Amino acid sequence: MAETIDPHWAWDPYRPSSESPWDLKKVGHLYRRATFGATWEEQEAALQAGPAKAVDRLLGGWPGQEKVDELTESLARAIAKANNDQQLAAWWLYRMLYSRHPLREKMTLFWHNHFATSNAKVRNAGYMLGQYRLLHRNALGNFRTMVREMTFDPAMMVWLDTSLSRKGMPNENYARELMELFSLGIGHYTEKDIREAARAFTGWDLHNGKARFREAQHDTGVKTVLGQTGNWKAEDIVRICLEQKAAPVFIVGKLYRFLVSEAVPATPELLAPLAEKFRASDYDIQALVSTVLRSNLFFAPQAYRTRIKSPVDYAVGTVRGLDGKIGTTALASALESLGQNLFHPPSVKGWDGGPAWLNGQTLLFRQNLALSLTSTTDDRFGRRADAAALARSHGQKDDAGLVDFFLRLFLQGDCRPKVGPAWYTIRNSPAPRPSRFTGPPRTLPTTASGRCVTWC
Amino acid sequence: MGTTRRAFLKTSLTAGSLVSCGLTVPTFLGRTAAAAPNAGKPGAKDTILVVVQLTGGNDGLNTVVPFKDPEYAKLRTTLRLPAAQLKKVNDEIGLHPSMGGLAELLQDGCLSVVQGVGYPNPDQSHFRSMDIWQAASLDKELTEGWLGKALKKLPASPSFHLAGNNETSPLAFAGAPVRVPTIASLADFQLRTAAASREDKKQQQAIIEGAATPSKKPGAGLLDFVQRTAVQTYASSQRLQEIGKNYQPKANYPNTALANHLKVAAQLIDADIGARLFYVSIDGFDTHANQLLAHANLWTEVSEAITAFFKDVSARGHKDRVLMMTFSEFGRRAKENGSAGTDHGSAAPMLLVGGKVKAGVVGKHPSLTQLDMGNLKHHTDFRQVYAAVLDRWLGVPSKEVLGKAFTPVEVFKS
Repeated sequence: MAETIDPHWAWDPYRPSSESPWDLKKVGHLYRRATFGATWEEQEAALQAGPAKAVDRLLGGWPGQEKVDELTESLARAIAKANNDQQLAAWWLYRMLYSRHPLREKMTLFWHNHFATSNAKVRNAGYMLGQYRLLHRNALGNFRTMVREMTFDPAMMVWLDTSLSRKGMPNENYARELMELFSLGIGHYTEKDIREAARAFTGWDLHNGKARFREAQHDTGVKTVLGQTGNWKAEDIVRICLEQKAAPVFIVGKLYRFLVSEAVPATPELLAPLAEKFRASDYDIQALVSTVLRSNLFFAPQAYRTRIKSPVDYAVGTVRGLDGKIGTTALASALESLGQNLFHPPSVKGWDGGPAWLNGQTLLFRQNLALSLTSTTDDRFGRRADAAALARSHGQKDDAGLVDFFLRLFLQGDCRPKVGPAWYTIRNSPAPRPSRFTGPPRTLPTTASGRCVTWC
Repeated sequence: MGTTRRAFLKTSLTAGSLVSCGLTVPTFLGRTAAAAPNAGKPGAKDTILVVVQLTGGNDGLNTVVPFKDPEYAKLRTTLRLPAAQLKKVNDEIGLHPSMGGLAELLQDGCLSVVQGVGYPNPDQSHFRSMDIWQAASLDKELTEGWLGKALKKLPASPSFHLAGNNETSPLAFAGAPVRVPTIASLADFQLRTAAASREDKKQQQAIIEGAATPSKKPGAGLLDFVQRTAVQTYASSQRLQEIGKNYQPKANYPNTALANHLKVAAQLIDADIGARLFYVSIDGFDTHANQLLAHANLWTEVSEAITAFFKDVSARGHKDRVLMMTFSEFGRRAKENGSAGTDHGSAAPMLLVGGKVKAGVVGKHPSLTQLDMGNLKHHTDFRQVYAAVLDRWLGVPSKEVLGKAFTPVEVFKS
């Protein structure tokens, strides 16, 4: 990026102006980043509300979340009881589709990718759901609390072997990833720090599904970690890590990539004011997210369409946009082929995201999924994301209107001038195959969503 | 040249957008028959490399075991593999009991074990160390892979990453002139349409491809990346549907993910499209706890898959054209931890399989007493192995890929 961005301007609140008005494009952008995509009604409401109110609503959620929670909690109990690994991702996708507080759900996904834990090793659906609750509870809460709770989270304790680490022969797995991936980032600690910290995490095991401290297995000796010497326990290591200057910068940098841009580099200068604010607030996540979502940079051209959608964003966004009511079990298995199997990240580093989402095979799977979702013949998704019906219900009667509607719904009109017309020209081509026009127009919405939804 | 290849090469590009915007397309689409590779000996133009990545940090000490060394039993109190169960290589060294297939390959003179491989100042982060191995560089910022760089010198060399759902394109291929496609299976590698007829299908594909066509000027950034990936993928997928249909495996592949990926590689080799580089990986080697069974299962899968693939391609006459190479981002701590597992370490062995490898053990097993922070010390830089593969197998000057000259390890029959 040739131009440099003024860090103070970047994080000051955006105010609509004649050069940068509050329009449908900004609404679409806000909803793509802060939620899993918007319906047409949601876009219109946010357009009316203006940026400040729109962000307020996203931060607070809509009424009715308790009902969603009630239903999914009873499902969660059944999944835990049966230890049903197969239903975990479907369960979460259901919440994503129907959440009344989508920003919190989206941030839960962010933290799932941050504390990436896979049931491939944990093999306990109840533990995984427990970790989900931890992440959801703290998703817009306090990062320090989240790390502390995470250290004694049963799924994490199995995932990174804390539950097996004993005095004298500590297991280094959790100590390493706490520093490398959860709080500091590579280059801000030494191998010695890891080995010393590992000693502080000894003495914990799982008893009746809960973390239990056993004094006799804990290494009570003096440890030196990141320059601090003492008889440290697990909580002390968390505190010491979060006292490092690198910690708020590391977290803010990751959130920047998630909410703002994968293309505009997060320079230290750009992140500095944000990191300082995060540190000064003692790791208040909601305040951080609020600052970012209201900021000049967030709504600037530099951030616009500079992320590649994750499979979850892609699929849930398509279904929500089409007002679809589809079975999430089928959706979960489709997402697995797109490279994002919820509750099963590929490693403790989570999904790489960005260009890594598209590797040829996954790109084809994306296009093919869009086709299946809107299909009126493919039963897999229950034929309930009916693009043609949606367009009709919005008064679109001809092909031009239909194409235009989908371009606005998914792309807010962002489309090279030649591409849109091509989509309906072909439908109106004088080819003597009338049969093609008798069925619902599948190709158009499919093409439209396939094209649009790759971008964020 | 086989008829398959000729027919394949003859197929002209139907996607007009590819030609009109001068895009770089996968080489096996645009290549002319004249550029088809020559058959020949190792180092000639048609050698094949299959890289097998062992993700997570393979415990080298329990893979190639120095059973005679009394220190081994001291370091591995619960994880010690009994000497009687090992597949003996010589009087001092044995392979893990699960490596029966690989031991047979050794008998047949087709397995080379390179001992003590690593790099200076080893990094024990999975992700940093994996990047180092894939980029073949210790630079701070790593953006290009060693195979991506090699491909710049191997024009017209189709290459494939065969992978499951959770796997992204490896850094190893980054920087290649044409993006190397990741493929789960040939059947899945196609763009589906809801078309009433062949012509209708064609038309629909044309629309989707048209929407992906980038502007004529190559640009930077994510949008350009997405569009190029799309165009290259659509073009490849159409062609790949036409090939490999007559392939029947000539060996019994176990039904495992790794074996399935290697079977697709065999299918692509059989299709005779001049493919040169293949990349597969298997995850799970990060055995911090309860390692014994997990490690045994992993090596069963690796050994059986490699053996089946090598039998298959050998039966098709490619034995002397194929080289397989395993690597992992690091080995593990010499002394086991208190959870019947091992923490991150450094030096470990690499395995090479092929008709032209120098069979047996290359180099000494690293000392079990002279350790560095409890880790085995390397005596061979992995880039020396890469140098041998580049210079003497692929015919690519290793210095241009590795940035400087590394003495190639003697792993090939002279």
